[in-house]
Amino acid sequence: MKVTFKIWRQENRNTKGAIKEYKVDGLTEDMSFLEALDHLNELLVLKNEKVIAYEYDCREGICGQCGVFINGRAHGPHDNITTCQLHMRSFKDGDTIVVEPWRAASFPVLKDLIVDRSAFDRIMEQGGYITAKTGTAPEANAILIPKEVSDSAMDVAACIGCGACAATCKNASAALFASAKINHLNNLPQGHPEAHKRVQEMTYQMELEGFGSCSFTGACEVECPEGISITNIAEMYAKYTKAKLFG
Amino acid sequence: MAANKLVFRKTIIAGTGLFLCLFLIVHLSANWILLLPEETARELYNSYATTLRENLFIKSISYILYAFIVLHVIYALLITIHNRKAKPQKYVVNHFLQNSTWTSQNMGLIGTMILLFIVVHLANFWARVKLGMGEIIELDATGNLDVYKVTFSLFHNIYYVIFYTVLMIPLGLHLNHGLKSAFKTLGFYHKKGLRISAKVSLIYAVIISIGFGVIPFFVYLK
Repeated sequence: MKVTFKIWRQENRNTKGAIKEYKVDGLTEDMSFLEALDHLNELLVLKNEKVIAYEYDCREGICGQCGVFINGRAHGPHDNITTCQLHMRSFKDGDTIVVEPWRAASFPVLKDLIVDRSAFDRIMEQGGYITAKTGTAPEANAILIPKEVSDSAMDVAACIGCGACAATCKNASAALFASAKINHLNNLPQGHPEAHKRVQEMTYQMELEGFGSCSFTGACEVECPEGISITNIAEMYAKYTKAKLFG
Repeated sequence: MAANKLVFRKTIIAGTGLFLCLFLIVHLSANWILLLPEETARELYNSYATTLRENLFIKSISYILYAFIVLHVIYALLITIHNRKAKPQKYVVNHFLQNSTWTSQNMGLIGTMILLFIVVHLANFWARVKLGMGEIIELDATGNLDVYKVTFSLFHNIYYVIFYTVLMIPLGLHLNHGLKSAFKTLGFYHKKGLRISAKVSLIYAVIISIGFGVIPFFVYLK
């Protein structure tokens, strides 16, 4: 299998980047997309050229490290998967594949396809946890939680913080990420005592980081590897208003 | 803690937008008088226009309406400027139509087209009837300003007929996305309810845009 990669190359956050073209042969349909990039990097090493910098860790869709924009879509042409779950069989022999880093003012490019997503970490620092000392792992059913509640909390707890939501959003809004983290804890009894503070401080940090506002295009939920629904954003707004009125 | 700019601005957009949606229902219901035969329509329409101008309650509502249109536009502009700053660099390739609708991605552009329509519409009617600009409007047989005649002559100009009809397309698109999104922005998150609100928004947008869009043609054919 032979493809042409057009990949964003950028030395560091202070330099200007550009798209560079690479014709790559010797790929197979069974390769993952990241393996195809590994293959390209091996060819670059043999030619004594700088390898392409990109992030990855688990390569099984659970760590959220590997997000890039592939052919005009976050994480590639399929809905609700991570970049590492994308395989070369999703492309045809002879295709051109354009690979770009996440684009958002709050996600500055560090090098090539790697962006700095620590803005998400700083949002988490404002309340993506509970302050109670929990000690060792308690008995699982010591606190009774209705299944409906635990299911909805788990749906949003599934967020891996990959950044595809803000990257695909035309406004670079982090509302889906923030809402997932807020609703996860605010809907559980352990998160209740700090619920009002959490929603206000995490949304405030989202604003400080320079993310845009949500226009409900719905693009984020299509690109989210965990399929987190945008109704969570509406729920976050409801919780925010409640916190302002009664918090 | 101060109000969150991202949430506050969208709340203003949603709140004013919902009020404007209500106004459009009232406006359309009244304008359908124009579809009646001329002898009935003229008197009804002119007396309705006089009521709008002279009733104190309606007058007060009209000031709220002007304020809400201005607020809707100003906050949309502020949000757009902020959003552009949040996304300074665009993708070389972006197939956004595979994950969202064209309308949802272009509400600002569509809104600008509607603003252009409002400016022309106000110049055609509001400036003439309320501010007395342009040609003097005659009185009808019952002594009301003959606003029907203003409408009748305007919609016998084919260019205005086309302008008023074509601009109802962006209005419909804007209403469809705007109405269902306003519910979400205001914190309505019941999943089944949101599916219903999406259907209601579509039906509302179709009725309003086609409802207004047919009026110039009907009047033209009279």
